[in-house]
Amino acid sequence: MVAGLACGVVVALTSVPAGASAAPSVAGSSPRTPIQHVVTLMQENHSFDNYFDGYPGTDGPAKSTCVPVDLLAAKPCVKPFVIGNRPLTSLNHDRAALETAHNGGAMNGFVAAQRGRLGASNLTMGHYQRSDLPYYWNLAGQYVLFDRFFSSSPGTSAANHLFWVSGTAGPLAGESVPAAGLGDLPTIFDRLQAAGVSWKFYVQNYDPRATYRRGPHAERSAQIARVPLLAYTRYIDDPELFSHIVPVSQYFEDLQHGTLPAVSYIVPSGSSERPPSSIASGQRFVRSLVDGLAASPEWSTSAFIWSYDTSGGWYDHVPPPQVGQDGYGFRVPALLVSPYARKGFVDHRQLDSTSILRFIEDNWSLPPLAARDANASSLTSAFDFAAAARPAALVPADRPIATVTRARTNVVLVLYGALLVIALALIGFVIARMRPPKEIVLP
Amino acid sequence: MSTSTEPSARSLLAPLDPARTEGPSVVATEPRPRIPAWAWPLGIALVATLLRVWALDRVGFNSDEVVYSSQAAGLANKADLSRLFPVFRAHPLLFQSLLSIVYRIHMSDFLGRLVSACFGIGTVMAGYFAGRSLYGRKVGLVAAAILAAMPYAVIVNRQVMLDGPMVFFATVALALTARFGVTHRPQWLYAASAALGLTVLTKETGIILVIAIYAFVVLTPGLVIRLRDVVVSLAILFVVMLPFPLAVLLGNRAKTGEQYLIWQMLRRPNHAMDFYLIQIPPALGFGVVAAAIVGFWFLRRERSWRETLLLCWIAVPIVFFSLWPVKGYAYLLPIAPPVAVLAARALARLPVRGVVRAGRRRIPALLLTGIVAVAVAATLLVPSWRAIDPPAGTSLLAGAGGIPGGREAGRWMAEHVPEGAQVLTLGPSMANIVQYFSLRKAYGLSVSSNELHRNPVYEPVPNPDRLLRQGDLQYLVWDSYSASRSSVFSAKLRDLAARFHGTVVHREYAGNRHPVIVVYQVRP
Repeated sequence: MVAGLACGVVVALTSVPAGASAAPSVAGSSPRTPIQHVVTLMQENHSFDNYFDGYPGTDGPAKSTCVPVDLLAAKPCVKPFVIGNRPLTSLNHDRAALETAHNGGAMNGFVAAQRGRLGASNLTMGHYQRSDLPYYWNLAGQYVLFDRFFSSSPGTSAANHLFWVSGTAGPLAGESVPAAGLGDLPTIFDRLQAAGVSWKFYVQNYDPRATYRRGPHAERSAQIARVPLLAYTRYIDDPELFSHIVPVSQYFEDLQHGTLPAVSYIVPSGSSERPPSSIASGQRFVRSLVDGLAASPEWSTSAFIWSYDTSGGWYDHVPPPQVGQDGYGFRVPALLVSPYARKGFVDHRQLDSTSILRFIEDNWSLPPLAARDANASSLTSAFDFAAAARPAALVPADRPIATVTRARTNVVLVLYGALLVIALALIGFVIARMRPPKEIVLP
Repeated sequence: MSTSTEPSARSLLAPLDPARTEGPSVVATEPRPRIPAWAWPLGIALVATLLRVWALDRVGFNSDEVVYSSQAAGLANKADLSRLFPVFRAHPLLFQSLLSIVYRIHMSDFLGRLVSACFGIGTVMAGYFAGRSLYGRKVGLVAAAILAAMPYAVIVNRQVMLDGPMVFFATVALALTARFGVTHRPQWLYAASAALGLTVLTKETGIILVIAIYAFVVLTPGLVIRLRDVVVSLAILFVVMLPFPLAVLLGNRAKTGEQYLIWQMLRRPNHAMDFYLIQIPPALGFGVVAAAIVGFWFLRRERSWRETLLLCWIAVPIVFFSLWPVKGYAYLLPIAPPVAVLAARALARLPVRGVVRAGRRRIPALLLTGIVAVAVAATLLVPSWRAIDPPAGTSLLAGAGGIPGGREAGRWMAEHVPEGAQVLTLGPSMANIVQYFSLRKAYGLSVSSNELHRNPVYEPVPNPDRLLRQGDLQYLVWDSYSASRSSVFSAKLRDLAARFHGTVVHREYAGNRHPVIVVYQVRP
């Protein structure tokens, strides 16, 4: 079935209407869709229900949901609640905690999985609402929100980041980066490089010295988990390849100079939204990236896709399907912003970060990296390539302003019109009736 | 109008026939004119039209024009503009309502200004009738010719502003009041009240002309008005003005109106006391002002209620707006028609036959009159033409014309800046212009967050740093016109651009060596 789906996607890609045909703007293979620039970002540690519970048209938890505190008894239990101003903490989201939360598919172990973690046990059931995430909700209203986008692996952040670039967790399933690095595991960047398709990996607060060679406990080691390329000998030692890993400020310069590569990967640092860090800061970061793209000439041929590495220990009510040996993790938020994205569309297709790889591979005719990306659904259904590219529009981070009602303006027009007519009629009447005084003719 | 008798060689201005100082207007018998009577008003109207329409939209709207045009667009249900500009503000909406009818058919800068220009041409004709009612046809024609070419009238009539249409109705009211003065029939007073009501319905400051009429009545002992006629006239005035307060209430703008009045009364003066003394005489035409004053002096023995009416119509606005803290270039436009009539009264008396004695020399009257006419015409036409084709510059007087480069910068932004982007400009004027032409929300950096120190319809930006950090402002616009008024805010905006990774994405030069408008793209 998956293979069939994949074939369908390929057929869909090859049947792009002539009017929306793509012109190559970058060196190497020509894209097969109007999308000439794919920008993908990975934020951290939030589940779909945590961010989009209550969003219209999505698969949200039932109103009766109440997750027991102890797996052995149905009561007491914790209902989903709005987080509001409660203090945040990092939730337990290691593989064991996720397995407890999953509880064989019953999805009722989330509170129990956080037991013993100060201030976290009930917090897992908390969720945000529109007022907390106005920008993301507004974006979802304008573009595409995926409500069955799973984290690729129930493992760590590093494993999911590696899935994002290589379609596999490789040696990272539940482990940190090996001392010898990631070896010869192929990445999408190898494929792009070989095909002559431009790419860059943009890193917020980038420190080029923080590579796997410093060891797993060295300063800025989190950067290695977020940027798997820094765990590869060849990407570090080859100056040409290493030059593709750049600070995120370069993203804005590339947008301004028209040098945005065909494929851009972006990772945050301080703006990752990883609890307890600020989700507002993360929104601002994403907004700056999306706004920058929208304001650039590349907008009309771009797609910006972002998701989250793991669910971060937050409650999500959908049991993840078992896919491959490593399976899926829980659902994570994922959105697509593009001039060809369907407006306000909720995509219910089963996807994960390897679907992004699949889209890149299909778009630039690249061979798959692993079984997962080869069999993944692409993102094609979220696009409408038959339609013309939508003009760039910056989505506000608050609600739109109310407009003046039409009825009142019409009343004003009637009032002013009526009095103008009355006054002019009076003046005309007087001029017509009052003959000018008899002219005196001087001798 | 002069008689056909030979003018005296002793005086430049021929004496006015005593029969015409009071009572019904008079017309002298003259030989059958070679040019048909209708040709003169038509020719004057053509000159007025040419000066008001030629290259009408060469320069884009200024801030005031943007406001009135957007109100009209809102009344015409143009959603894009009504989203950004409130329809209901402190001013009445008669002109905007009329403009909205045009905008329903087609909306353009040219058409907006054309409607205003039509009112200007109407004012010229109303000036003719006012002059004719007071002093006869010849004075009416000269007054109309002066108004047709007067730079003050030309400059304001070429803009989508309320002052031009307001002065049209005011001049109609003046002509009707003159008829009342001539005939003493109350119906003319009623009609004048209706015209005055429309004046106020166009711009609320027209109400001061009620004081002018009151002063005229008080200072003219021979003019007797029955109480009943006063009541009827005031009732007509009140009824015609009624839509203004009703519309303010309907738009829930009563508070804004109150704030606007408080702000106008308490704000710091925007110009020095001598602002009008410096700006208005050249705008009226030095020759016209001189003719009005000289004529008033030389013909002082002929003084009648006519001059009282004209002087009241001139003095009341001058006194009021000189005392009023806010001074605007167009505010004194209502004095243009009476000044033109007074000047015409003098110029129409210049002899065309015979000689004029200047010491021992005898100068042909026609030559002297020709020199005066050319001099007066030059003081009118030269500045009027300069207003049509303004030289390049980096600073401007508010209300004295369009803003070079503003429309072009706004249109560039409409094309190149994503929808939903928000802009910070130096001041509220450029914010209005950018907002109108780009359809992107714009704020003025210099708008005070203190309600007492700002126009209440302006939105302040209390903390621009925060908005920029949050990514709520994506573009900054610097302009030389605002910068010339406030170097502090100019420096602050440039500092913000530097701190928030500002990149220049567009420049407008408007014929200057240095850019008059610079657009920066910024990010957190």
